[in-house]
Amino acid sequence: MHYMVFVKMAEVDVEPPAALVEAMGAEMERGFASGTLIQVGGLYATSYRTEFRVRAGETTSTDGPFTEAKEEVGGFAIIDVRDHAEAVENARRMAELHATHWPDWDGAVEARRISGPDEGPSASDA
Amino acid sequence: MGEPTDSTGDAARAKAAAGHEPTRAAVTAAWRRESAALVAALTRMTGDVGVAEDLAQDALVAALEQWPHDGIPGSPGAWLMTTAKRRAIDFFRRAETLRRRSAELGHGLEGTEVPDLDAQVDHIEDDVLRLMFLCCHPALTPDSRAALTLRLVGGLTTTEIARGFLVAETSMGRRISRAKRMLSDSGARFEMPTGAERLQRLDDVLAVVYLVFTEGYAATTDAQWTRPDLCHEAIRLARILARLVPDEAEVHSLQALLELQASRLHARTDSDGRPVLLEAQDRRRWDRLLIRRGEAALARAEQLAGSGRPVGRYYLQAAIAAEHARAVHAENTDWRAIARLYDVLAGAAPGPVIEVNRAVAYGRAFGPAAGLVVLDAIPAAALARSPMPPAVRGDLLTRLGRHVEAADAFRAAAAVTTNRAERSLLERRAEQAAVDAS
Repeated sequence: MHYMVFVKMAEVDVEPPAALVEAMGAEMERGFASGTLIQVGGLYATSYRTEFRVRAGETTSTDGPFTEAKEEVGGFAIIDVRDHAEAVENARRMAELHATHWPDWDGAVEARRISGPDEGPSASDA
Repeated sequence: MGEPTDSTGDAARAKAAAGHEPTRAAVTAAWRRESAALVAALTRMTGDVGVAEDLAQDALVAALEQWPHDGIPGSPGAWLMTTAKRRAIDFFRRAETLRRRSAELGHGLEGTEVPDLDAQVDHIEDDVLRLMFLCCHPALTPDSRAALTLRLVGGLTTTEIARGFLVAETSMGRRISRAKRMLSDSGARFEMPTGAERLQRLDDVLAVVYLVFTEGYAATTDAQWTRPDLCHEAIRLARILARLVPDEAEVHSLQALLELQASRLHARTDSDGRPVLLEAQDRRRWDRLLIRRGEAALARAEQLAGSGRPVGRYYLQAAIAAEHARAVHAENTDWRAIARLYDVLAGAAPGPVIEVNRAVAYGRAFGPAAGLVVLDAIPAAALARSPMPPAVRGDLLTRLGRHVEAADAFRAAAAVTTNRAERSLLERRAEQAAVDAS
């Protein structure tokens, strides 16, 4: 089953510490090597974002940056795991790396199951 | 989710990072991620895969006792290794005592000094590959190789493997212990084969991964049409191999083949669980992510083939699977390209199964009569117990309008299949042919 792991944080103008970048690189290499990691991506700042909002049949668009947002998705990984516990463990590692290498970091790592042709999210998955 | 904590201290922080008290499932998931590297390093250390697995299991038991209270450690791999190493030192001490008592030198116990594992960190990946070579050792039967690989490289429990192969847990347990003993007895070494032997042994490993996949893909005796857990394990093994042996075209070809075939897993059954044949499948249900990965792996294989690395049956099968994946609708399928690939495959890996598939391709590319010519050339004794030849014959005869013979062929196929879902599909086709005949 596939999960998407999001890394969310306040949009700050700070480069992540080199130690974190290196540790994440090693973690990704391991993920690819074990056949778990399918795809990773980092997202550009919200100044590169355009949002279309639909309300009452009306579409309006807004260009970034979105300074009022508390937290933004900064990166994601698609992983291929055996079960929910394995997805959680992958997300936990990601969080752990941030906690270790960037103690000042204030953010979140979230694992969400991707609904595929075979598997829809059921109520019990919440 | 657990309550957020604001306490300090390492244990509390570990718990906060975990977000909740780790459950048994969480501990198992963490362990499984480390188990192949752990078992591989311990096999290098002890020279015996059975001992290595026992030590790894001891470490798992310790983790199951401690992690639910202490949280999963920041570096579970290091924790498990330290714990296993401590047990290994005990093991070496016992072995040393034994050696002093006995004049006889047991093999693998010659050097009783505990090797410095920290100095071997760089070898971990090579060690996982060595472990795969060992699990797929020629001294073992293919079934034992598959079971041992799933156990030691995949980190599955005996129960899970037994469920995958539809055998009783006790007999799977026996099969695995026997395999480990056989490795010990035959003096199989934890080694990296070189030269011509490397290609041969690599081919054995690929065959085992493929066996695991096909076992899951086409369950022969189960009411279920597929058992995707085994397919998934096989794909993971293939991906691991492709990272460990990036320079061999056939390794990437196998990964490509499995990703492409697995992309169709969920389209192979309808909402009632009944099998759906390739051409009738809803192609929107094919997994595009897996298709893309399969195409990428195939491209790597092609590149390596271009620089002279040998390709064989996996490459050809992957190329065929890719042709199907590229056809948005069944009627867009380039059957002539597929027929050509089957011609090459029939030369590279001749056998009745390939011939039946070649008959299907010829039937589509050049008409049902051409398909029947290929099918009729297969010796009657070959595949006598398989539903494949009569099922294909039934299909070709239907398209020739020879419905009475087609109904007979489908009935013959239904009579020999051991898969319940397949039998009902064939019976339906027999009934349809009989209706069309009247």
